[in-house]
Amino acid sequence: MRTEATLLGIVFIPLLGSFLLPLIGRLSARFRNYCALGLVLVTFLLSASLIGKVLSGQAITVSQQLVFGFSTVFTADGLAVFMASVASFISLLIVIYSFGYIDHYDHQSEYYFMVVFFLGAMMGLVMASNLIFLYIFWELTAIASWRLIGFFREKNQVMRADKAFLVTFFGAVVMLLGFIVVYQQTGSFDYATIKASLNGGTLSNLAVGLILFGILSKSATLPFHTWLPDAGVAPSPVTALLHAAILVKIGVYVFARLFVATFPIEQIWHTVVPIIAGVSAIVAAGAALVETDIKRIIAYSTISQIGFIFFGLATGNMVGVAGGLLYILAHGLSKAGLFLCAGIVEQNTHVKDINRLGGLMKTMPFTAIAFLACSFSVMGIPPFSGFFAKYMVFAGGINNGQIGTTIFFMAGAFMTILYLLRVFYKVFMGETGESQAPEGSASMVYTVVIFAVLSLLSGILISYPAQFVQAALLNLPGVK
Amino acid sequence: MFSLLIFVPLFIVMLINMPFGGIRKSAYILAFLLALAQIVFTLLAFFTPLSPLSSGRQDILGNFFNFRIGVDNLTLVLLFCIGLTLLVTLLTGREVVVDQRQRFNFVNLLVIAMAGLNGIVLAQDIFTMYVFLEIAAVASYILISFQKGILALEAAFKYLILSAAASVLMLSAIALLVLVSGDTSFAIISQALRDGSGGFPVKLALGLFVCGFAIKGGIIPFHGWLPDAYTEAPAPVSIFLAGIVTKTLGLYTLIRVVTVLFGQAAYISQILLVMGILSVVFGAWMALTQNDFKRMLAYSSISQVGYIILGLACGPGWGLAGAILHILNHTVFKSLLFVNSAAVETKTGTRNMDQLAGLSDRMPVTSFTSIIASLSAAGVPPLAGFWSKLLIIIGLWQAGFKLVAVIAVLASIITLGYLLSIQRRVFWGKLGSELLNVKEAKGGIMISAVLLAAIAIGVGLAFPFIPAAMLNSLSSLLGG
Repeated sequence: MRTEATLLGIVFIPLLGSFLLPLIGRLSARFRNYCALGLVLVTFLLSASLIGKVLSGQAITVSQQLVFGFSTVFTADGLAVFMASVASFISLLIVIYSFGYIDHYDHQSEYYFMVVFFLGAMMGLVMASNLIFLYIFWELTAIASWRLIGFFREKNQVMRADKAFLVTFFGAVVMLLGFIVVYQQTGSFDYATIKASLNGGTLSNLAVGLILFGILSKSATLPFHTWLPDAGVAPSPVTALLHAAILVKIGVYVFARLFVATFPIEQIWHTVVPIIAGVSAIVAAGAALVETDIKRIIAYSTISQIGFIFFGLATGNMVGVAGGLLYILAHGLSKAGLFLCAGIVEQNTHVKDINRLGGLMKTMPFTAIAFLACSFSVMGIPPFSGFFAKYMVFAGGINNGQIGTTIFFMAGAFMTILYLLRVFYKVFMGETGESQAPEGSASMVYTVVIFAVLSLLSGILISYPAQFVQAALLNLPGVK
Repeated sequence: MFSLLIFVPLFIVMLINMPFGGIRKSAYILAFLLALAQIVFTLLAFFTPLSPLSSGRQDILGNFFNFRIGVDNLTLVLLFCIGLTLLVTLLTGREVVVDQRQRFNFVNLLVIAMAGLNGIVLAQDIFTMYVFLEIAAVASYILISFQKGILALEAAFKYLILSAAASVLMLSAIALLVLVSGDTSFAIISQALRDGSGGFPVKLALGLFVCGFAIKGGIIPFHGWLPDAYTEAPAPVSIFLAGIVTKTLGLYTLIRVVTVLFGQAAYISQILLVMGILSVVFGAWMALTQNDFKRMLAYSSISQVGYIILGLACGPGWGLAGAILHILNHTVFKSLLFVNSAAVETKTGTRNMDQLAGLSDRMPVTSFTSIIASLSAAGVPPLAGFWSKLLIIIGLWQAGFKLVAVIAVLASIITLGYLLSIQRRVFWGKLGSELLNVKEAKGGIMISAVLLAAIAIGVGLAFPFIPAAMLNSLSSLLGG
């Protein structure tokens, strides 16, 4: 009973607590910021407190008889707790960074409200154990990201926020049709009931295709990727949140949840998904090589790296799937670090074009080093965690006999090294650019340094998350 | 008891027109109490168990006056909507219709229309229904034009002419039915239609009915009068028309006649599907191109009414339950949007969205409630509109109208698109210099906005908890 209360707390403390923030903000801005931090911290601690429980192989379920014959509402198993812990931890650091970044803009109350709400919706999505609840929380994240991307409220920002909302909404309704096909096939929206009625058979290809459509749109994979670079007009902590902790990870997580952890799908998808992911990885990496806006480069990098995660998850063997999940962690930490570094650069120099920047190493050394460390992790340089995760993804691909696809992805990994080093040199090394600026505020610099250190530590101590992930993956239908 | 809902309004109209000194002044209060009483009364009735329509409650007054009335869950939903819309119309009217003399006429007409609307939904006799329909219609022609603006008069005239055509069609259909069955009561007609083979006169009657009701309901291709009427009518009257008048005159009657009288004959589904999907798509498409706030909402109404028709076309089952729920939801969110437009129009003096911008800081409540209404209209969970659309889509899919389901789902993206454009143009962006002194609307407008937003959220959140029995009773309306 107590663990059930914990599970409900993970979802509803941030989700409902966020509504108090604008009210508290009327009393004291400072207190509101700490309350926001407190809500995220509680969410993280509650998620972490379930780790021991799920590692022993138990799943925590909250059941309630509802309309449409829903019986289970929320389930926390290894996969869910892993994702919840990673997302809430990264969000925690991003909120700390926001204290420094956001404090001279209007509408701060709405900002903290939406960030915490966003996290709560993510938690609900992670824990949901029927398709309709999944869809509800999926759309809640869309509403939150719409408000956050349009935070500055200029016409340009709002247009792009609308674009992000419309593209992901488009994906979502197509996915909803997929859910209805599943309902037609099995007579239920509950994961457990669907699984039972499939009885070893596979989900219909139409349903898988429609659901995949939604997943790809949410995680900004080709051909639905254009909204993500455009969403870079948001405040930097928001982009970090979108890229590293919450939004694009939703697509990946739902893929893992539905097609790896719950429903058997036909073999063909294990070939199709890596190909889509591979094309997305290469094309986005190419775009990152020619872009000149620092935030757009990192955004294309996300699209490219998400491809690696999909590849890992779609291999369907232990090493590959574990690698994919570990890369969610590694990419989350280092990509959040990259965006926050970019935020410091952008806020202090007011320039986003890398050709007009340069030599910032001298004035912002901590930011530069943190940027480099996080880049190393994304590139896959040992001993950063990105290396281990990418290695496992490739190993999974080879084990699966997909040698051609694996080589394709290796080329993508090589391009990653090129474009990230390009950014680093242009921004931090070389001649001093037209704009020279000091380090960011303390809370911002600490945060990026912590992300850099964590990228390194999670690599050196990779065995702990790896053990967790492997325990979470035992006995899942999509993992051989 | 229920016949009081018809007689008390009529009595009040007589009372307030008596030549006593003070009575005129209390007209507004009396009407307000009347609306409140109707809401309370229907809520009480809703939570007491009810037998199905065929053994509908017959009451003493009804026998005395020799017309048959009956109540089922559909009736109760409509009665609730009538009470709610009337309340909101009166609250908004208080702020907008300031001239005492005009307000007195306004209240008089509203109460007459209310008697007519209540009569339509309670009647168990096709001719009684027609008489009340004319009462409500005549009251609404005058309501549109009671401020005697030239454009409003033109709109009312258009509505009058098309409604006259509708009356001819409906009367001819009634005549045909009396020819076939020899009586005007629902029970006898539906029995006669079921016994007979349903020859040409019956089909003709059904066709005439569908056309007549489609004119009243503003369904494409009979929608010509609707955008003008909604746009040019005074703000509170727009709320009343969009919220309940077209719905009762066109949709309720259609549902009653199609399901109860004709027993959901198969050939009718096809016609309804075509009209429904045309309304959904073209209504949304036309809304996308509008600059006038209210005109956009008018086209949006056509589109949303299309969803209700689609739900009806599915026949008994979840589609029909969704259609009925969507009547309630549409009443709530479209009234709310019209309340918002009234707030914007009274405070800024314009409805042209290109002349507005950045109002969200000046009118926070209007801005927030309009977001709630927009998201509910687009079917974004967890708001109420999501559930009714979900039921309709599932209904369509299960009935085998898969292509229509897909189009209906995709049309909701257009819906979201134009509703986001309201947000973008009116509430976001930079506040123009001429709008700096705009203040939030007050009093009645605020109360109605908050009330309706609370219902939209509350119904959405409570929906998963409603008992299956209640949904089933909505989905099996087939009486007789």
